[in-house]
Amino acid sequence: MQISFDWVDFLIMSPVIALVVAGVVPLLIKVVNGNKESSSFVPYGFGLVGVFAAAALTLGNWGIEKAAFDGAVAFDHLSAIACLLILAATAAGLTFLRENPATHRRQFSETVFLMLNASAGMIIFAWADDLIMTFIGLELMSLCLYVLIALSEEEQFSKEASFKYFILGSFASAVLLYGISFIYGSSGTTSLVELRELGPTLISTNRMFLTGVVLLFSGLLFKIAVFPFHAWTPDVYQGSPTPVTTYMSAGVKVATVFLILRFMSLDTLTSERAFPFVDALQWLAVLTILVGNIGALRQKSMKRMLAYSSVGHSGYVMIGLIAAGIGGQTLVGATGAVYYVFSYTIMTIGAFGFLSLLEKHADHEIYLDDLKGLGRKRPVFAGMMAILLFSFAGLPPTVGFFGKFLVLSAAIKQGLIWLAFWGVVGAAISVYYYLRPIVAMYMEEEVVQNSTETSLRPISQFVVSLAALMVIGFGIASETFFQTFFKSILDLFS
Amino acid sequence: MFLTVLIFSPLVLALIVGLVPKSWVRPTALVLSLIHFAFSLLLFKHFDPSTAHLQLVERAAWIPTLGIQYFVGIDGISFWLVLLSTFLMPATVLISWTAITDRSRFFYINLFLLLSASLGTFLAMDAILFYVFFESSLIPMYFLIGAWGGPRRLYATLKFFIYTMSGSLLMLLAIIALIFMTQQQLGTLSASILDFYKLSLPFVGGQFISTQTLMFFAFCLAFAIKVPMFPVHTWLPDAHTEAPTAGSVVLAAVMLKMGTYGFMRFALPIFPEAAHYYSCLFMVLAVIGIIYGALVAMVQPDFKRLVAYSSVSHMGYVMLGLFAFNIYGTTGGLYQMLNHGISTGALFILIGMIYEKTHSREIKSYGGLAKRAPLYAIGFIIVTFSSIAVPLTNGFVGEFLILLGGFQAHKILGGFAVLGVILGAIYMLWMVLRIFFGEEGPLMVKHKGENLDMNLREILILIPFVVLIFWMGIFPNHFLSYSKASLDHFVNDINNYELQIEP
Repeated sequence: MQISFDWVDFLIMSPVIALVVAGVVPLLIKVVNGNKESSSFVPYGFGLVGVFAAAALTLGNWGIEKAAFDGAVAFDHLSAIACLLILAATAAGLTFLRENPATHRRQFSETVFLMLNASAGMIIFAWADDLIMTFIGLELMSLCLYVLIALSEEEQFSKEASFKYFILGSFASAVLLYGISFIYGSSGTTSLVELRELGPTLISTNRMFLTGVVLLFSGLLFKIAVFPFHAWTPDVYQGSPTPVTTYMSAGVKVATVFLILRFMSLDTLTSERAFPFVDALQWLAVLTILVGNIGALRQKSMKRMLAYSSVGHSGYVMIGLIAAGIGGQTLVGATGAVYYVFSYTIMTIGAFGFLSLLEKHADHEIYLDDLKGLGRKRPVFAGMMAILLFSFAGLPPTVGFFGKFLVLSAAIKQGLIWLAFWGVVGAAISVYYYLRPIVAMYMEEEVVQNSTETSLRPISQFVVSLAALMVIGFGIASETFFQTFFKSILDLFS
Repeated sequence: MFLTVLIFSPLVLALIVGLVPKSWVRPTALVLSLIHFAFSLLLFKHFDPSTAHLQLVERAAWIPTLGIQYFVGIDGISFWLVLLSTFLMPATVLISWTAITDRSRFFYINLFLLLSASLGTFLAMDAILFYVFFESSLIPMYFLIGAWGGPRRLYATLKFFIYTMSGSLLMLLAIIALIFMTQQQLGTLSASILDFYKLSLPFVGGQFISTQTLMFFAFCLAFAIKVPMFPVHTWLPDAHTEAPTAGSVVLAAVMLKMGTYGFMRFALPIFPEAAHYYSCLFMVLAVIGIIYGALVAMVQPDFKRLVAYSSVSHMGYVMLGLFAFNIYGTTGGLYQMLNHGISTGALFILIGMIYEKTHSREIKSYGGLAKRAPLYAIGFIIVTFSSIAVPLTNGFVGEFLILLGGFQAHKILGGFAVLGVILGAIYMLWMVLRIFFGEEGPLMVKHKGENLDMNLREILILIPFVVLIFWMGIFPNHFLSYSKASLDHFVNDINNYELQIEP
């Protein structure tokens, strides 16, 4: 086989290259300085430069449609959207990292390096057009995350979380790899382009192939915390330093959902043989919604609560993905899934960023009771969180509402009425726990007077405010996003 | 532009209230709300009562991918509800004048947001736009009850929010299904209510799992919770009792009407077969609500809670009228919506006035208040008469029409509903007796020498209500003439209801 690369291939990969280069520079500076950490602003600055350069390059590439590097990665509008969302999460994560007491001092250059590489991994993961690339992206992302979680000044929970995520994550990667080997064994290819031709027939004739698909999905569903692969979520989200939680909860979900969407476009699930599998996925979606939302009801720690809620949101994304998988040419489901992760990214950045801002020292974890009286002390700031929580709960006219609206529309359009019904039940349950922080902030009085020192973290505050404004603004202007997403998906599915 | 300005100007007003210096907050809120009310009176000039068509229509594409438009318009059904909302706003600002001292700026901002959401709910002609306003009205009310309410406010506000929100979620599913049906049947995706009217939805009598019946009940659940109908009324007494006075007034006068308005705008005309088929069920529930609400009200020791349960009873009349499907019932139902807004709103205002002075709502501890507060007693008794439908007051017209319609539709149920009128008279008059007459209660002794009567501000609040009570009671035609064309159209053409847009 003749291997030759076009320069366009490198242009397409340039965002990833920019991220890796920008990540290495602070590390080099540190080495040259005799392993002394310079001011945290230097690595942060390089990190942001990398992120913005990558974003600019992605936007510059907007419109290119090509399977680069011999079909290893696919670049189209959808890839660009995934990349931009991941970069948004990265920029927010970096900002919170620099201004959070648990992460801002220790080995900040390394932290930036790891985060940018994790983003590179996520982007490769989301772009992969070949199952081997999928695995490479997954591992690059996961390995960086394992270390990032542990890189906290908090000594107990972060280490435990890192270890837990490592053990379970490795297992999930192994299952995924196992699935890939089944698919390769039965079809003779790992390229998604070739699987597009082979998949629909293979899935109804070859049991081995179906097994491979099931295993592959198990590995992927672990990453977006779908029941029964969700058990790690609360512990890991709680133990990780809050900026890392922000980053991974948004970034990993975006990357994985886009990959699954790419897989759903293969039309493999429309054949009759795959129906039991689709049924199983529907059950998982329902159970995920219920487990996530019911689990969140009794949480006292805000991070744990949001972790369970993120499990619930995965269930809604699943509804969109399932509708996309069986829908064929009707693209409401795929649009819904993309819009949902888009809205989830904004809300997550805002909500976890808010918690990160409230943390006063490395061991400080925000409980529901800590929010009491905040609405009186800082009404505007608390108002931002209230907007974000209303959006999480799916109240109009926020992005959260339109996300749920699209996903439920997709389910109804595909005749999955009962799936939509359970989605609605989950949403009704979720209202209770999303309202509790608002109750604490605005309607309850402070029990113990907290020390009033509030450290100034201007950039983080800016990011959180921006997220809150976007939640409403992008909600009202959602038509623009629907159109963009819809057109991008049209490319992929046609 | 008129309706758009009417709906969204409260948002601007809220912003102004948010920016003025602290000592200006109350006067600014009052002046702005009066200006807004005066502006809304221009409707009399723009609105043409002789036609049932949808008027002052404004349409613009909002989310064309899903057929969602920005589409507002007004007809005889929504006309008075809009004016009721704007009329109550200055009153709610004035009644909170001294009662709300804590975070008053945020309080008035919430009131303006709520006004905007209610107006949007009554004027939206696109189902999703309606849903957006319908749901966002919950947020300011949630803050009003939760931040300025009584001792059990957290329980009440969460219950209120979760109850109403979970009800409306199933309606959202039904709306989505209807939107996709417009594509199948009419060719274009549309969330406009006018297009929903044109759909033909398969109906199989007696079979619950059929398209029209399921959707009908999805809508009914959402609206029945809001009304509230027996047996999903339990959030109301808690919310009413715990809410601050202004919150109770808006809740009773405006937010409950969103439910009955929803029945008139959505549930009945879109699903006429199902509505007719199940009308008996709803009439029975309405009558149970009337009698049950009255009986429970009778034994309440707290007079705010008593009035809250009387709301359940009164709203039962509205539902009875609507499901009678004749011109008397429907006209009475619409009229009773306004009456309930005026009389129950006034009752809550009166309760708020005395509570501010005595800090007690226990009926037992009052007694002999008439001697101490003669003006207040006169006002209270007039409003009570309106509430129990004494002739010459507005309540009489509404209840009389509803009973007429109820008898025409179903003799036995009509008979039971009359029982409710008697019970209503009993519990209200008994309460008046215990509060205003008889021996001086412990509270009167405790507040000896203090002035318990109304001051000028309170008199000013009450006067418009008293005027309206008699005006609506003596000259109902002044009001009904604006709705007549729409109501006739509604009753006569319910089976293939369509709304034309005024050219």
